[in-house]
Amino acid sequence: MRHRSPFLWLLDKEWRELLVSRAWWVLLFAMGPLVGVSFISAVRTYAEVSGLNGTSAGVGEALSPLTGVWAPTFSACELAAVFLLPFVAIRLVAGDRQSGALKLELQQGMSPFARITAKTLVLLAGWLAAMLPPLSAILLWKSYGGSVYPPELLTLTFGHVLNAGLTIGLAAAMSSFTEHPSTAAILTLGVTVGTWIVNFFGAIQGGWWERAAGYTPAAMVAEFQHGLLRLDTVLVALVLTLAGLGLAAIWMRLGIAVNRRACESIGVCILAAGGIFACTFLTPGGSLLRTSWDTSESRSNSFPEADEAALRQIHAPLRIEAHLAPEDPRRLDLEHHALSKLRRIMPKLEVQYVSGTSIGLFEQTRAGYGEIWYDLAGRRTMSRVTTAEGVLESIYSLAGVAPPPENDEAVFRGHPLAEPPTGAGAIFYALWPGLVVASGILVSQRFK
Amino acid sequence: MLFEVNGFSKRFGSIAALTDVSFHVRAGEVLGLIGPNGAGKSTLFECLAGVLPSDGGALRANGRPVETRERSSLLFYVPDAIAPWPAQSVRWALDFTIGFLRGPAPLGKEVPLREELIDQLDLRQLLGQPIGTLSKGQRKRVLLAIGLLTPQPALLIDEPFEGLDLRQARDIASTLRAHAARGRTLFLSIHQISDAARFCDRFVLLSSGRVCGEGTVSELAALAAAHHGSPPHQDLEEVFLALT
Repeated sequence: MRHRSPFLWLLDKEWRELLVSRAWWVLLFAMGPLVGVSFISAVRTYAEVSGLNGTSAGVGEALSPLTGVWAPTFSACELAAVFLLPFVAIRLVAGDRQSGALKLELQQGMSPFARITAKTLVLLAGWLAAMLPPLSAILLWKSYGGSVYPPELLTLTFGHVLNAGLTIGLAAAMSSFTEHPSTAAILTLGVTVGTWIVNFFGAIQGGWWERAAGYTPAAMVAEFQHGLLRLDTVLVALVLTLAGLGLAAIWMRLGIAVNRRACESIGVCILAAGGIFACTFLTPGGSLLRTSWDTSESRSNSFPEADEAALRQIHAPLRIEAHLAPEDPRRLDLEHHALSKLRRIMPKLEVQYVSGTSIGLFEQTRAGYGEIWYDLAGRRTMSRVTTAEGVLESIYSLAGVAPPPENDEAVFRGHPLAEPPTGAGAIFYALWPGLVVASGILVSQRFK
Repeated sequence: MLFEVNGFSKRFGSIAALTDVSFHVRAGEVLGLIGPNGAGKSTLFECLAGVLPSDGGALRANGRPVETRERSSLLFYVPDAIAPWPAQSVRWALDFTIGFLRGPAPLGKEVPLREELIDQLDLRQLLGQPIGTLSKGQRKRVLLAIGLLTPQPALLIDEPFEGLDLRQARDIASTLRAHAARGRTLFLSIHQISDAARFCDRFVLLSSGRVCGEGTVSELAALAAAHHGSPPHQDLEEVFLALT
């Protein structure tokens, strides 16, 4: 018997517990078909848009593999993180309590934070194993002759690992709070549904709801799917994950009075709220926390480089007041095609939406509805255009900056690929599930 | 004296599980905690081990209080009716006990001790079996091995003879005796008073969460006699009935 540190023994134990967890094997098994459906469908559509089977070629220029193939393929991870991963995490955290092992292990004296760290490391390793199917899809895509741009794929993968971290933190906290795993599962799914409701309200109500909805797991993943890596989003996700793990560690200490654990939990929640507030609201102009990186090959989150250079010359604070309702499609256009890009390049930008209703349908006749007011250093102008070009034009005219000449060479042309997803069905519907089943049988025999 | 328990109390809502429980534990003795089902024996052990918060009371060793987080250096508690790490083999559980539960100290005599316990508790046939597949008695023997492999000076075992047949109970009693003879203090919760009478040096009588008496059979008999004004009885069952 080799001498190892107690933490390594704990890691060994958690890994063995993961290996015997049926929930984890189900997660591994399901990832093959889930990724297969998404990948095959995405590659087919991509091929058709690129001119396969006589469809008009050339439209593929508008497609990038990130939005055309990888975002839908990796969406299987999002699905698994919501509906499967919580059960794996709950099994690993609540299992000790159910079997009575926690009563023995707590007497070792190891910090509960070290214990929850071991569980988290093992769960993340288990999640990375579950991400092998989408990662293997990259090799398959390469074999078709597809283009791969590593920075955007790394961002996307990182986003899904971060999302898994959030799920693990949440499930671990719920497992420690509750006596029974089924209660933990209900509460975990309840919180997830709660974030969907926040998204829903954000889309309808706008305002604070919209701001909160920007930090839900679904919104976070959507950013990564576009190749956008925002420091504040990453920090908020890390704060939430650490808060969940901290709560799990606090409630794991069965020997501490409930009142004290509750007080400590409130402390953790206050710290987490403070951290989130600092990341989201205390972001004065030029703050490091506003830093973001557009890792997409198509620069889908950025204006053309020449425009960005021109915008950087404008140092005065810019205020935009848009009279558009939250559900008005023009507002979505304005936000996604112009303002989200503008925020990245102009930290002193202040945007305010004004509307009396959520859908805007009955406001159309109101004077002033649809107007977008720009205020730069006391100079004001109004426009109704919601495209990126229209917004830039208004800003340039206010700032007295000459618009940069258009550069056709800098425009992303896309990577059309008119190839069917040959062999993908065999890999994701047969080979991967077969490998998982065979490995599962081998492991279960080893543990018999 | 190894440690002293002063005024332990524990409530579950309106139910008082422990009320002002006080007694002391001597180094190297086999102390029996006896009482009927529901007397609070397991609750007391869990509070002492720090896996259940007590509402009040202190545990003192060498004249100073031992906080919950420090108890792992003084005592180890083996609960009853648990099946820890049910998918792992008995061999792995014993290794895990040596590697993890005993802490970061380098390996000493634990490996020979493990082999000795495997023979003493008749575990060799079970080494490859997952703990979750063991019978109640087999699981109890594994739990005893886990407890005896830990390094703490005091070992608290909840119902050590529960689920064992007569022969196994006797074998385990002699194994526990052998470990007590090496200086390990054993504090055993036993609801079968006849078992306790055969095995323990001293007793703590617990009834409805209160200590009714503490001492050897003779001391308890004298206490019972003093209470009832009758001649002392040397049968522990009679003494228990008289005191509770």
